Amino acid sequence: MARVELRKVHDYLWEIPKSGEMNVPGRIYADRASIEFLIAEEKSKEWDALLQVRNVACLPGIQKASLAMADIHPGYGFPIGGVGAFDLDTGVVTIAGVGFDINCGVRAMAVGLTREEVEKRKEDLAEALFRIVPAGIGSTGSLRLTMEEIDEVLLRGAPFVIERGYESADDLAYVEEGGAVEGADPSCVSALAKQRELKQIGTLGSGNHYLEVQYVDAVYDEQAASAYGLSVGTVVVSIHTGSRALGHQIGTDYQSVLRRASEKYKIPVREAELVAAPIKSPEGKRYISAVMAGINCAFANRQAIAHLVRKAFKGVFGAGGGDIRTVYEVGHNNLKFERHTVDGVEKELLVHRKGATRAFGPGSLGIPDRYRAVGQPVLVGGTMGTSSYILVGTEKGMAETFGSAVHGAGRRMSRKQALREYRGDTIIAALEARGVIVRVHSTQGLAEEAPGAYKDVENVVAIMEGALVSRRVVRLRPMVCVKG
Amino acid sequence: MAARPGVECAPRYAKVRMSYRGHETVDHTADMGIRGWGQTPAEAFEEVAAAMFELMVNAAGLAPSRTIRISREGSDLVELLLEYLNGLLSEADVAGIVPFKVSVGALEEREKKWIIEATAEGAPAAGAPGRLLVEVKAATYYGASVRERKRGMWIAQCVVDL
Repeated sequence: MARVELRKVHDYLWEIPKSGEMNVPGRIYADRASIEFLIAEEKSKEWDALLQVRNVACLPGIQKASLAMADIHPGYGFPIGGVGAFDLDTGVVTIAGVGFDINCGVRAMAVGLTREEVEKRKEDLAEALFRIVPAGIGSTGSLRLTMEEIDEVLLRGAPFVIERGYESADDLAYVEEGGAVEGADPSCVSALAKQRELKQIGTLGSGNHYLEVQYVDAVYDEQAASAYGLSVGTVVVSIHTGSRALGHQIGTDYQSVLRRASEKYKIPVREAELVAAPIKSPEGKRYISAVMAGINCAFANRQAIAHLVRKAFKGVFGAGGGDIRTVYEVGHNNLKFERHTVDGVEKELLVHRKGATRAFGPGSLGIPDRYRAVGQPVLVGGTMGTSSYILVGTEKGMAETFGSAVHGAGRRMSRKQALREYRGDTIIAALEARGVIVRVHSTQGLAEEAPGAYKDVENVVAIMEGALVSRRVVRLRPMVCVKG
Repeated sequence: MAARPGVECAPRYAKVRMSYRGHETVDHTADMGIRGWGQTPAEAFEEVAAAMFELMVNAAGLAPSRTIRISREGSDLVELLLEYLNGLLSEADVAGIVPFKVSVGALEEREKKWIIEATAEGAPAAGAPGRLLVEVKAATYYGASVRERKRGMWIAQCVVDL
């Protein structure tokens, strides 16, 4: 197996020097311990993550560097935590940089109740959320759509479901892109994808998707926290989900399209999933339009779930329990047209973020007016029942990472190993002993998502802060966790 | 043994006498590898699908009540494998069932394309609470291969995104 050469840039940044067929260097945000974990055994699976960084660096039109955030681990073609930005004329779009869960992301909402008020009723709240928010395999939502209406969802995203009663419109100013991107074309999405989605708007999914009720237990950046309306004790609800079956189907539908395009346009395929098409080719344009539709679907999905969360809170706490505002919503499996500076020239690029979150710094357009002076909130989910973080983007991050940050802790243990080491019922008991109420549709799924199966989110966040490309604002601790 | 990208792997217990058909899951950091083997490609395809659906549902003692049928094609056996597995996932999702018994009716090369016709029996997802495990988002090309390891033993494998 080919070795990957690494050199240390500073304590929190390592580089794969540009060589051979690489068009740019690879850059990995990591400390020494996490780099040593990645290269510990020559035949270890973790070698693949570094090879993937290098393979992405070989893609045509890639700008500056093939990047990996601190939660790097092996993905499909792209590493998880991978960021690649491409010139629109010379660059490519790759399915590996988006994945199957298009616009998987997080919405964080602040609740107008005290932590003490929620603690007293958290068992009831857990039951209400578990009952009201559909989750798990085969779950269906309350919004039933026709094939014509699903096209509206793909074009209009969150605003469509708000018009159907899934309030509220006030959320949209704090949702990335206002809850809908341009460029979606439902005709580029298969009928099968739409059929699968007809009953899935407003469902959580399973695996690492979750709904958590949390509280702020630490503030690191007073100015940013104040801008976001957060302080110690603020109750927050975090929703982690994506585009559901529609996103999955778009991914599978376009695998063969982009495989053929790679051959047609002579783009070397260095790993089976790292297939691509020139951005301006017919195949590239169709895939991008389909992804934009998937992005809008995820926005609609999280808006619908947000409404159900409000309903659950009102059911438990009365009318006052529904005073819930969106702090921010942002995706971490995405394709975005963004303007960035490369070699002193500002240009529009197509940015892939695969398990990496957009993290725009202060002064950036495209973030809410109220946050512009401090920068965009970055929502980082911790492992189940452990800490989560809200970070903020920085100017250095804009310069070095196209305004990107981590999305979570990253796995360090396979699911099979997690099943050997952990049991769902034991995890539930351990969390409840710490005051975290868990409701789950699959205890096996819970074992696979055991906190011990993931890297330490504290370390991952600290690496990015050490590199000055993002900064902690608040830490969140869980009170209730609902999983599929 | 973990599946390596683009590299075909022998079953983990290659030196142990194996049953003539079977399936297993294979470690992968974030998701799961699935592998099926049999005396023919069709048997290997049935077994690898069984491995996939065992990730989704504990079907022990569950009686199948609905059937879906799929027909897919591919330019080679690997593409056919992916089309077949993803086709089963998609059609089962539309039908609202979790399949657990897959039969391949035909798997052959016709006019320079590989085709497969298969049926999958299962039960409604809504009617199987407590048995549903983890959702498989898609079968991927990562580590995907279909090969005849030796005469009379075919192996089909890939990694699925969970």
